[in-house]
Amino acid sequence: MPGKQTKQKSIGGIKRRERTYGFVFALPAIFFFAIFYFLPIIKTLQISFYRWDFLSPPVFEGLKNYVVLLRSSEFHNSLRNSFYYAFGTTIPIWFIALGLAVLFNRITSTSWLYLVVYYIPVVVPLIVACIVWQIMYHPSYGVLTFITRPLGFVDIPWLTSSRLAMPSIILLSIWKGTPFYMVIYLAGLVSIPKEYTEAAQIDGANKYQVFWHITIPLLKPVILYVIVISIIAALQVFDPFYVMTKGGPGSATRVVTLFVNETAFQYLKVGTAAAASLVFFSLVLCLSLVILRFFRSSWE
Amino acid sequence: MKKEFTRHILWHFSLFLGAVIIIFPILYMFSASLMPLEEIFSMPVRLWPSRPRLLNYGEIFTKFSLHRYFLNSVILTIFTLICNIFFCSLVGYSLAKFTFPGRDMLFTLILATMMIPSNVIVIPLYLLIRSFGWVNSFWGLSLPHAITPFGIFLMRQFIRAIPDDYIDAARIDGCSEFKIFYRIIMPLSLPAIATLSVVTFVNVWNLFLWPLIVITSDAKKTLPIALNQFLSNYANDWNLLMAASVVATSPILLFFFVFNRGFIEGMTGLSGLKE
Repeated sequence: MPGKQTKQKSIGGIKRRERTYGFVFALPAIFFFAIFYFLPIIKTLQISFYRWDFLSPPVFEGLKNYVVLLRSSEFHNSLRNSFYYAFGTTIPIWFIALGLAVLFNRITSTSWLYLVVYYIPVVVPLIVACIVWQIMYHPSYGVLTFITRPLGFVDIPWLTSSRLAMPSIILLSIWKGTPFYMVIYLAGLVSIPKEYTEAAQIDGANKYQVFWHITIPLLKPVILYVIVISIIAALQVFDPFYVMTKGGPGSATRVVTLFVNETAFQYLKVGTAAAASLVFFSLVLCLSLVILRFFRSSWE
Repeated sequence: MKKEFTRHILWHFSLFLGAVIIIFPILYMFSASLMPLEEIFSMPVRLWPSRPRLLNYGEIFTKFSLHRYFLNSVILTIFTLICNIFFCSLVGYSLAKFTFPGRDMLFTLILATMMIPSNVIVIPLYLLIRSFGWVNSFWGLSLPHAITPFGIFLMRQFIRAIPDDYIDAARIDGCSEFKIFYRIIMPLSLPAIATLSVVTFVNVWNLFLWPLIVITSDAKKTLPIALNQFLSNYANDWNLLMAASVVATSPILLFFFVFNRGFIEGMTGLSGLKE
C-alpha cells in the first residue's frame, strides 16, 4: 500500500473515520454485487437441481437435469457447434490480425488514419453487422453476388445450407473481431525495443529470421493473451445466431448460448437451462486454464 | 532510395486495399440505405443508387417509429453512463485509498465476477428481476448494468496512482470526505472516466440478450431489439432496414470519429498507443 506510511502518522480518530467512510463508499458495490451477481449464481446452482417451468412450484430432482444433458444429443450438438464456431473464428483471427499488425508495423500519423478505418467494424453494433451481412448474404440479390457471380458461383445458399451457415457466420465474426486483436498485437509490436531487431540484423539475420527468432518470442505474452480472451469471447457469442439463423438450418448453428436461451424461455425448462449454462461455464474455465498451461510449458 | 520509395507505395497500396475490403459492408450499408427498393432488387447488383432517395430516412420514422426506440436507447445509455461514472469512481476510490476490514476480499470478489460469462447468470437474473416486479421496466433493464466490475477495477487502478498528499491536504483544510471525492478525486480521474465512458457506451448501446429477455412491450424496446423486430417483420424492405441500421450506428460512429484514440485505447485497454 503506497499510502501506509502517511496514514500511520495520523491519530486514531482519523483512522476510525477513514474506516467508516471507506466502508460507506464501498457499500453500493457490496449491495450491487450481492444482488446482481452472487445471488443469481447461487440461484443458478440451486435451480439446476429442480424441474421448473417459471410458473408451477419447482420440483426437486437431484442430478436429473445433468443426466438429461449428458444424454441429450441436442446439447452435445450445441457444444460441438460452439467450439466449431469459437475455433473457426479465432484461429483465422490470430493469424490475420498478426499479419495486419506486422503490415502496419509502426504507428505514425498516416498509419493511424488507416487504423481508425480498420477499427470501424469493431464499433459497429453487432445487430447492425448481422442485418447488413444477412442482406449481403442473400443468394440472388445480395451484394456478394457482385464478386461471386463473375467467379461462376450462382445462388450460394450462405445462410440456408447446413454446411455453409456456420462458415458464413464465422466470416462475419472474423470481419468484426480481427481489428480489435490487430490493435493489441500492434501495441505489442511497437513496444519491442528497436535495438533487439537491429542487433540481430547487424549480426547478419535476414528479415524472416528476425521475425521468427526475435519478434515472435518477444510477442509471446501478447499472443497468449489474444488466444485466451478471443476464445472466451467467441464462446459467449449469441446475437448472430439468434438474429441470422435461429440455430438453423436444422441445428447446424445452434450454439450453447442459444440452446440455453431456448431451453429456458421457449421450452420453459429452467432447471435444464441452468445446468447447461453451468456445465458450459466450467468447460470454458477449464479450457482457458488448459490453454494457459499448455502455452506456459511449451514456451517458457 | 528508389527501392525505399517503391516499398512505401506498396505499403500504402496494401493498407488501402485492406481498408476498402474492411469497410465495404459499411459503405454498402450507407449506399443501400439511399436506394429505392427496385434498385436494391436489380440484376446485376448495384453498388450505389442512381439518385439518392432520402425518403427512406423519413419512412423509417413514420413506418417503424424508429425515434421511439432510439430515445429508449439514448435514455438507457445516459443513465447507465452516469451510474457507472459515479459508482465505479466512488467504489474505486474506497478500494484504492481507504483501509477497512474486508477490503481486499471485496476487491478479489469483484475481480472474480469479471470472469463470469453474462449468459450464465442471465436466467436467474431474470428471475430476480421478476420477483422485484421489474419485468418490462426501465429499472429491470438498466440496474443490472449500473455498476460493472471492469469499471471498478479501472477506476481503482487509476485512483491508486493519485498521490495521498492531495487527500491529506484537503482533510487538513477541513474538507468533508464526500467533498474530497467529488472535488478532488473525480476531476483528477478524468482520463480513466473517459475510458470507462467509452466502454460503457459501446457495451450498453449494443446490449441485446438482456433487453430481449426483460422488455416485453413494444414501447420500451431498445434500438437493437427493435432492429431485430424490423428484420423479422419487414424482411424485404432492405433499403429501410439499411437506413435504420445507419441511424443505429451513427451515434457510435460519430463519437468514434471524434474520439478515435479514446475509443481504440479504451476498448483494447491499452494506453499511449499514439504518441
